[in-house]
Order: sequence, then structure tokens, then C-alpha cells
Amino acid sequence: MLMITMKKEWLDSWRQGHALWISLIALMLLLIACVTSWQSFQVQSATKSAVAQSERDRWLEQGEKGPHSAAHYGVYVLKPELPLAMVDPGLRDFQGNVLRLEAHKRNDTLFRPIQDTIPMQRFGSLSPSFVLQILLPLLIILVGYPAFSGEREQGTLKQLLASGCSSIHLFIAKSAALFSVAAIVLIPLFAFLLYSSISEQHAQVLRSALYALSYLVYLSTWCVMVVAISCWLSTARRTLIVLLALWAISCLLIPKIAMTHASNQYPIESGQAFQSKLESEVYTPERQQAIAQFKQETLTTYGVSSTDDLPFDWSGAQLQFGEQYSDKVFDRLFGARSEQLNAQFQYYQSTALLSPFIAIQTISMGLAGSDHTHHHNFEVAAEKYRRVMQQTLNFNQRDHAHKATSHYVADKQLWQAIPEFVYQPPSFSLMSGHYLVALCALIGWLLFSGILGSYSLYLLRKEVQR
Amino acid sequence: MTTNQDVIIEINQLSKHFGDYQALNDVNLTVKQGEVLALLGPNGAGKTTTINCLLGFLKPDNGQVRIAGVNPQQNVVNARKNLAYIPEQVALYPRLSGLENLVYFSKVAKVEKSEQEFKALLEQVALPAHAFNKPVNSYSKGMRQKVGIAIAIAKQAKALILDEPTSGLDPSASYEFSQLIQQLAKQGVAILMATHDLFRAQEDAHSVAILNQGRLVDYLNFEQIQTVQLESVYLKHIKAEPSC
Repeated sequence: MLMITMKKEWLDSWRQGHALWISLIALMLLLIACVTSWQSFQVQSATKSAVAQSERDRWLEQGEKGPHSAAHYGVYVLKPELPLAMVDPGLRDFQGNVLRLEAHKRNDTLFRPIQDTIPMQRFGSLSPSFVLQILLPLLIILVGYPAFSGEREQGTLKQLLASGCSSIHLFIAKSAALFSVAAIVLIPLFAFLLYSSISEQHAQVLRSALYALSYLVYLSTWCVMVVAISCWLSTARRTLIVLLALWAISCLLIPKIAMTHASNQYPIESGQAFQSKLESEVYTPERQQAIAQFKQETLTTYGVSSTDDLPFDWSGAQLQFGEQYSDKVFDRLFGARSEQLNAQFQYYQSTALLSPFIAIQTISMGLAGSDHTHHHNFEVAAEKYRRVMQQTLNFNQRDHAHKATSHYVADKQLWQAIPEFVYQPPSFSLMSGHYLVALCALIGWLLFSGILGSYSLYLLRKEVQR
Repeated sequence: MTTNQDVIIEINQLSKHFGDYQALNDVNLTVKQGEVLALLGPNGAGKTTTINCLLGFLKPDNGQVRIAGVNPQQNVVNARKNLAYIPEQVALYPRLSGLENLVYFSKVAKVEKSEQEFKALLEQVALPAHAFNKPVNSYSKGMRQKVGIAIAIAKQAKALILDEPTSGLDPSASYEFSQLIQQLAKQGVAILMATHDLFRAQEDAHSVAILNQGRLVDYLNFEQIQTVQLESVYLKHIKAEPSC
């Protein structure tokens, strides 16, 4: 029954023509998006790899100089991307992927790809996730809207039910047939995911599998909802109008409203205002007092009256004290900003209960590591590295500069003592707690579509058995 | 001689109203194996309501119907297994061919046959062979009716319900259709045919029931049909109880 009806639905759609063309267009868009994303990812990966190597060489070959000069010389670290970011670039274009680590400063990431785009590109980019999250539901609607209402209009529904065909079987078969149309479009993506997870990093297989599963659930939800609404409404035309309205509300309107409301509810300062605030809160009279107090305590501890009489270089100790003082300010200000961003994210995520699009968008970006949570994780790791680096340099200054007869300089041996920054994005199992609401909402939407389907079948039974 | 076991379609004290409108009022009818019953009546007499109760699409207010002993209100799936239905406009998938429609509707009704057997069915209903694989949207109404009959034959149902089967058919197609009905009746199928076509009713039916304003106003057996002019009987009843 299931296979027979699926076959009939396929044949009917094929001959109707528009389903075939819509599927081909969606498939083509997805293929183009995959190929361009793959090329872009390869270029970026190669560039990042080359830049990282050159950056390490630059650090090691900086020559002899004072440790604090080296601290200001700084290093640039690059954010690696997961292979899945190819299919879902998420916030990548807005977040930047290079971070400068230097003395006294905690910087924001630089070189946001959005800065390099030409004006035309700013109208929107075609990523595989855009096709999957927004265009595929539209394809499902355009192919599936007459599933029941079309049959009702041409009289075949009554004929089928009179033949002894069960309405539940018919519903399942029609949903499965519709899903198979969407699944055919998904095949190249799944092949792409399989290839990238095997060829890139074995650890990413779990993320890829979850990614594929999430989209299967998302698209199943749309298929069941489309068939349920088609079963509910009396005419194909009315079904199409209702479904298009539902799509526009779910995929365009609610996300836009949710984003705006999240920004208003949990506002963050502009980058310029934040930098000014950092400057003003780090370099305060209290800081000078704290340094003076630290100096006094140190002199007392060592029983000397001048820093020249200390058994170590005072400037190194003072620099490290200043770093630690600044770090507390950074932790407070960056922490507050991060909390606001996280609150925005959690608020936006909670609206997944109103839109399946928000649920899949959140999960998809999370699995691709292209969301704020993963970016924050990278920034925290980079900052931790910066602090270790500064401490190593400051302690070297403190411990060795006073022994030097002239201006103290360090050499390659010290630069080599600071290991290269290696960042491994966290495993999804560690991060999954962040996406619990979206995961529950996605499953909830599937259940809701099932309930909607059951209700539509109940109405159908009432309709044919008044 | 017939027994109760020969009765395939049973309608007992059937009543149905829609709001204030009494569509059926205490209707009793039976159709036996191999019998063709013509259900006559003006528009709104209750013919389609009776059919919808038999198909299980309408729930009677009073009384009951049975198809081969199964009440559709109690077990609609089993009741429908025993019947085939051909509406006035045979509902087929316009982009599928006659053969594909036959195969699909038959398989949905859990009828398993080979393609050759399905083709033989289309030959049996005299559908031209060149039309087997053409889309149904290129068929005439008569050809669509033939596909409908083929679906009914394939199902090997005990009861066949026809709603205005010859409406809109040319005389030749109407005659061909009549032949097919007779053929099915000879095979033992109980046929209930709601129609306005008094000529075909007199020619094909073994019994005639006349409905007016939801009431069964007359019933003629085979011998009575042969001895009366059906048109005058029909008009007498309809004029006697003019519709409001």
C-alpha cells in the first residue's frame, strides 16, 4: 500500500512536471552551494594553514629583543573551522577569524569576511544551509500542497476511500512520497557530509551524523505538516495559500522578530563603545594605586627600600601585576558582554517553540561550530593562551633582566618556549547542553506535526462520515 | 428461489436528516445476488444520500445498512471490501493512463493481478487497446466509465453501486455500459443503480424502487416492470408528491 501509493504519487508528480522542475532547481541550487562552499573552505583552510605557519615563523624569527617588546610584537592566531561550516557558515562572516594576542590588551577578532564582500554579495549568500532551511520547505509545500485537497477536488479521495483504502495508510504513504522527493535533493548533501567527515577529521563523524539526522527530522516535520494541512482544507488553492503564509511566518517573520526582540531585550554596546569602555576601566587611578601598593608590599617583603635592590627585575614583576589587574577587568567586561550575547542566543533559541526554522538553524549552526557559542569558546581559549604567553615573557624579564649588564634581550630559545597556539573545537557532546531547547523544540515540532496529522485524519473521517 | 443469504445489499428502516430537511425517511430495500435494482427519483429524493450511507460516508440517524452482512458503521473497511462504487463522474487520476489507474485502484483495494490480467479486464470492458496507455485526461466520459467498471470487476466485489452511470453518455456508450452491467449481474454481483434514465432502468433492472422526498413511494419487481410503462408510474408518483 505504502509503496504503491508512493509510486503513484511519484508518477503523477513526474507527469505534472512542475514537481520535477522544482526539485531539479532545488538540487541544482544545493549542488552549486555545496561546490562553492567547498571551494571557499579549501581556499580558506589552505590560507589559514599557510598564514599560521608564516605567523609561527615570524614569531620564532623575530630576533633578539626584550621580552616585553616581544609581548607587544604579539602573535596572530587563527580560528580553525569544522568541515560542517562549509554547509552552514552561520555567523562566520560576522565574527572574524583572526585574533591578535599582545600585551595589555584583549582584542576582538579581526578580518570578518563580511568586510571583504562586494555590495552585491551583501544581499545574501547562497549556502547549503539556506537551501535546506528555507528553500526545501518551500519545495515541499509546492510539491505536496494538493496531496489530499487536490484529490478531494478531483473526486479521487472519495473513490479511494470507497475502495477500502485506509485514510491513515493514505496519509503515511503521501507523507513518505513527499519526503522521498525532499530526500532525493538531500542525497548530494549527505554524500558531501560523508566525504568531508571521513576525509577531514574522524571526530566529526558524530557531528555529521547528527547534522543529517536533524535535517531529516526538520524536513519530515514539514512533509507531515503539509500533508496534514492539505488533508484539513477543502481546496488545493486554499491549502497553498495557508502553507505559503505558514512558511513566510515560520522562516522569515518569526526569526526576524525574535532577533530584533532579543537585541532589544539584551542590548550590547557597539564595538567602538566597548573598546572605549575597556580603555577607561583598565587605566584608572585605582590601577596606579594598586601597583603602588604592590610595590610597597614587595619592598617590605624583601626588606629593601628601592626596587633596584630587589633580587629580581621589578619591571617584569610590575608588568605581570598589571596584566593580572587588567585580566580581572577583561573578565568582568568581556564576561558581561558574553553573558548578554548568550542571553540573546538563549532568547532566540527559545523562540524555536514558535518556528521549526529557528530550531534547525540553532542546531545546524551549533553542529557546524559556526555560532556564537563556539566562537566564544575559541576566544576564551585564545585569551588563556595570551595570558600564559604574557606570563612567560614577564617572568623571563623578571628573572633575568636584573642580571644583564646592559639592556636585557631574549632570544629564540624563549620564543620557542612558548608553544604554538593549537585550538581544537570542543566535541558536540560537551556543547550539546547549549542546544537542548532547540533539540527539544525540533522533536516537539515533529510530534506536533504528527498530532496535526491525526487531527486532520479525524476531521477527514468526520467529513466522509457525517 | 432466493434466501436471506442471497441478499447482498440490505437497507432497513433507513432515516437521515440534515438539519430540518428529512433526506431519508424509513426506507427499506434489499438487492440480491445477481439482481440489478434501479433507484429512481427526482433530484433531492434521497438517492445519493442512500448511496453515501451504503458507502459509510454518512451515518444514518435511524435504521441500518449492510453490505454482504457487514454494517459499514461498525466495520467500514470490511464493508467497503465487499463493494465497488462508480460515481456519475468516474474519479480517475487524469495524468495516469487507464491501465495505471486500474492497477493503482485495484492494488489499493488489495487486488493482486498481473499486467496481462489487468489488460484483459480493460479488453473485457471494451476499452480500445490504443487507449490503455494514454492519459485519462484524453478519454471520453464513456471510456472513463469503462475504466470504472474494470476497477469494479477487478475488485470482484459482491455489490456494485452506481450513481447516475449513464448520465452524459451517448446512446452507443450507454448501450455498451448496459451490456457490462448485465454481464456483471450474470456473474452474481448485486447492483444498485441510482439513475434518472427511465429507459435504461426498464431495460436493465430486475427491480425498481422509486424514492420521493426521502420516502420509498413504490417498488416494482421484474414481472411488474415488464407489464407497466415505467415512465407513467414514475411521473404519477412524482406529481402526486410535488417537491416543495
